[in-house]
Amino acid sequence: MKMMLGVIDATTYMEPLQNLAAHRSVAAVPFAGRYRLIDFVLSNMVNSGIESVAIFPKYQYRSLMDHLGSGKNWDLNRKRDGLFFFPSPDLPLPSSQIGAFQHFEQHIDYFLRSKQKYALICNSYTVCNIDYRLVLEQHIASQCDITEVRYQGRSLEMFVLETSLLLDLIANRVQTGYNSIGDVVHNPFHSLNVCHYEHDGYVAVIDSVESYFHHSLQLLQPDVWKQLFIQSRPIYTKVKDEPPTQYTADAVVKNSMIANGCVIEGHVENCIVFRGVKIGKGAVVKNSVIMQKTQIGERCELEHVIIDKDAKVENDVKITGAEHRPFIIRKGTVQGVLMSQ
Amino acid sequence: MGKKKCIAMLLAGGQGSRLNSLTKQLAKPAVPFGGKYRIIDFTLSNCTNSGIDTVGVLTQYQPLLLHSYIGIGSAWDLDRRDGGVTVLPPYSESSGVKWYEGTAHAIYQNINYIEQYDPDYVLILSGDHIYKMNYAKMLDYHIEKGADVTISVIEVPWSEASRFGIMNTNEQMEIIEFEEKPVHPKNNLASMGIYIFSWPLLREYLQIDNNNPHSSHDFGKDVIPLLLHEGKRLVAYPFKGYWKDVGTVKSLWEANMDLLNPECELNLFDHMWRIYSVNPNQPPQYIAAYASVVSSLVNEGCVIEGEVEHSVVFQGVHIQKGAVVKDCVVMPDATIGENVYMEKAIVPSALEIPAGTVIRPSMPEEIVLVTKEWLEQQRSETIEKG
Repeated sequence: MKMMLGVIDATTYMEPLQNLAAHRSVAAVPFAGRYRLIDFVLSNMVNSGIESVAIFPKYQYRSLMDHLGSGKNWDLNRKRDGLFFFPSPDLPLPSSQIGAFQHFEQHIDYFLRSKQKYALICNSYTVCNIDYRLVLEQHIASQCDITEVRYQGRSLEMFVLETSLLLDLIANRVQTGYNSIGDVVHNPFHSLNVCHYEHDGYVAVIDSVESYFHHSLQLLQPDVWKQLFIQSRPIYTKVKDEPPTQYTADAVVKNSMIANGCVIEGHVENCIVFRGVKIGKGAVVKNSVIMQKTQIGERCELEHVIIDKDAKVENDVKITGAEHRPFIIRKGTVQGVLMSQ
Repeated sequence: MGKKKCIAMLLAGGQGSRLNSLTKQLAKPAVPFGGKYRIIDFTLSNCTNSGIDTVGVLTQYQPLLLHSYIGIGSAWDLDRRDGGVTVLPPYSESSGVKWYEGTAHAIYQNINYIEQYDPDYVLILSGDHIYKMNYAKMLDYHIEKGADVTISVIEVPWSEASRFGIMNTNEQMEIIEFEEKPVHPKNNLASMGIYIFSWPLLREYLQIDNNNPHSSHDFGKDVIPLLLHEGKRLVAYPFKGYWKDVGTVKSLWEANMDLLNPECELNLFDHMWRIYSVNPNQPPQYIAAYASVVSSLVNEGCVIEGEVEHSVVFQGVHIQKGAVVKDCVVMPDATIGENVYMEKAIVPSALEIPAGTVIRPSMPEEIVLVTKEWLEQQRSETIEKG
């Protein structure tokens, strides 16, 4: 689809997600065993034939840039179009609405040079598998100014509009008072014809630790992950070259999603386990999310916890969080026995 | 092209006929191995990990999949501006099409490729073996010994020595005799089919060999014996570690099972020596509440609803409810139906095993290579009995 360009607004800062996004932008929060949140929207764009994607980051974007690299894993390392990265570190706090025009204006050349007639603007933290070609088809057929994608009446913060209209909105933001695409759509008095596109697949909006934890564990239901991981529309991510996961003779694994490169020697039940995790002998881990390269010692007992990347839980540690308030072990930290008592 | 100290020529044209139906439509180096790899990944990763950035891959038999798998070499970080991976299939010239007649002839046909890089040394590799080896160390040894040719050797059990090309050496590790599959071996140092040649010498002898109408144009059979005969300095490089020629269905199965042994020397989890492969882009594996997985390697994209014990399961495999998979190798995208019982078998890529099938070898030391034909035969036998 050479007709549409993709814009991912990764400027969002979310206080309720702070514990997982202290060192990284929300877009780079790990999700579903081997992905970052941005992988879903980016893969949806690529799978919908979009060949030019602009990412507007604001906070802590080192891990996001490291993750995306040249865009090769999404087939976006192109001579023509491809992946663009537009940080604006000097801008004041962005609007709480998605699609801040001020941020876009800083990189207006991208929009001016792009030949695509339509633009798709999305947030970075909505997890779903959607074909944007269908959204565009409806947008064109119904002759709307802006089409907003919704799920059960709730905005998914995905908008299709003509690039020329976007340029007008950016240029006239002072006169109109609209600071973002969200402002335009949610103002009942605007003069534009806004339509809705109802998405009927699985959706997870990750806007707090609670929703993160809830949606992570929801993925363990086959009818949920089957809607997210569709063979013809794969979710791409940064390749890590990890070996297959090794289960030892003592391993007990039930109802869990496990990425590559793990060594499982203990008991894992109702868990999401990211790449390169080691779970020691005699450890029992239940209803938890264990992120990349974390090591869990022998005989640990963990329930309702989220363990961020590169953490280490020493032998015999026992931690129990609550179903709606998981215990969080921060990135790169060591959790010893005495600390949890 | 800039000058390179050492480039690699990787022989990947072999059919591997003893792998039966597994190599009907793909070359042996492309056969899946170890839950996510293809055999050639080991040699290509060894090159990258050893700092060799120029690799010519010689293909001939069933090259389609191998060519598309190698691509421009990105998976192994071999997509380089100067050098990198180059696939070298046989080609036609004004005097006609010349298939590669032997390993030495294949290299001879690509002298022009090698000369672009004006190398001092050429490393000859085979894409048929599973091992991790630092070729840079072997090159240092070659230079230090002042050798014309260095041949990597590995100690094999005396009882098996007559299956290999055996190098008889003196105390300085100089090769004094080479015997192909000797009935009464004098030594147990087997050639691993890995050679480092000083390029001017190799170039000269490829020419001599090519002019000899009686030669079969093979390194082991013709070129090495000729060099020995002419008193060149051939040195053995002793390699210690895991090395396996997965030339038969049984050895392929065994090498996969080796990975499940905690004592196995072939460590796939070593981040300092990663084995790279083309990523299949699949979601994490899902292990159901009523499933069980022990002593196994399982790759991404699998859905495990049955029992998996001591098996290697590749990406995208679905093992359905009630199925029992024991001591098996299940290749990519295969489906094991409900209540299947399988023991000591290899299931090739994308094969679907119908519900309730029982697969086990008729003799205890055998391995079943499951095929469509085999499944159909089983079905008709069941109908006859039924």
